Amino acid sequence: MLLHHLTVPVTDFHDGTGWEAKPEGMCKGDVCVPVQGATTTDGMLDVGRVAQRLGMALEEDPVAGVWALGPESGGRALTTAVAPELELPDADGNPFRLSAMHGRKVLLVAWASW
Amino acid sequence: MWQALHEEIDPLGVTVVTVALDVDPVKARPWIERAAPTHPSLVDVEHRVDDLFGISNVPMAVWIDETGTLVRPAEAATIRPSPYAAIEITDRMPERMQQVLTEMRNLPDTGEAYRAAILDWAQRGADSRYALGPDAVIAASRPRPIEHSRAAACFELGRHAHERGDDDAAIAWWKQAHALFPENWTYKRQAWTLASTPEGADSDKAQEVQDVYGTSWSDEFLAVGGAGYTVTPDL
Repeated sequence: MLLHHLTVPVTDFHDGTGWEAKPEGMCKGDVCVPVQGATTTDGMLDVGRVAQRLGMALEEDPVAGVWALGPESGGRALTTAVAPELELPDADGNPFRLSAMHGRKVLLVAWASW
Repeated sequence: MWQALHEEIDPLGVTVVTVALDVDPVKARPWIERAAPTHPSLVDVEHRVDDLFGISNVPMAVWIDETGTLVRPAEAATIRPSPYAAIEITDRMPERMQQVLTEMRNLPDTGEAYRAAILDWAQRGADSRYALGPDAVIAASRPRPIEHSRAAACFELGRHAHERGDDDAAIAWWKQAHALFPENWTYKRQAWTLASTPEGADSDKAQEVQDVYGTSWSDEFLAVGGAGYTVTPDL
């Protein structure tokens, strides 16, 4: 996830990482991790604090003035078996949400031109 | 190929969703137009499915059931028998080609078994022995140390540099990503093809990028061998 600031709206963080701020902590699927001081009352999230707790690498590009946040680490590639939301465009730019497939089985196949 | 499978399993309740890992969507478009898919066919310029599902090469797939639960982790997704067994390797070929073809024959030939597993799941759902429970699917996904998270962040900074036209910076970030997570071939093949493809041409698969990355696809493929190149489905 690309970041221009290290304090971001909780909704942006959820869309970018799959981790949602809830009263019980930061949650992804059925997994919740308590993180002290993760959020402020105005709906903003302290990226550095959450990243440290969840093992998310935070790399800075000082030339471009941006950061990138890696996925949670320290366990397996899948933290939970609950599929995260995936919102991507098709080749014409039409948005698709994986959650729209609820009720169907999905074979999600990654390929590339290379 | 995926369109044909979709037509076969869509009536059984399975939708194929393809995701193209291409930082330049224009590279994926001709392939998508030729396939004329009736299933969702997406473009993932950030390689988000690497982070979200543990994709590390292509083609790889995950299975998701009707409730939105993963029932198989990211694994090599071929659905045809390997074509390499039928290729005769002769002394008349350049030595490098002989070596590469020999290792291609060592790629696990799981196409028929994987295809059969998909059909079994399509027909039997949760009763299919190939559909794993939640704990098993997590345990069967690959370990993710902090280095892999750093690699993802470096790859994303490289993509951002590429997007703004600073390819020198992109290459430096991508080299870091490759060193941190050498088993992720989507980071490597993506970066290499951009360096080796002539302007306006189709994506180059030979990826001889010694002058830029000090390596090449064949160097690294031979180093790991066919057996180490993919995440073989445990069926």
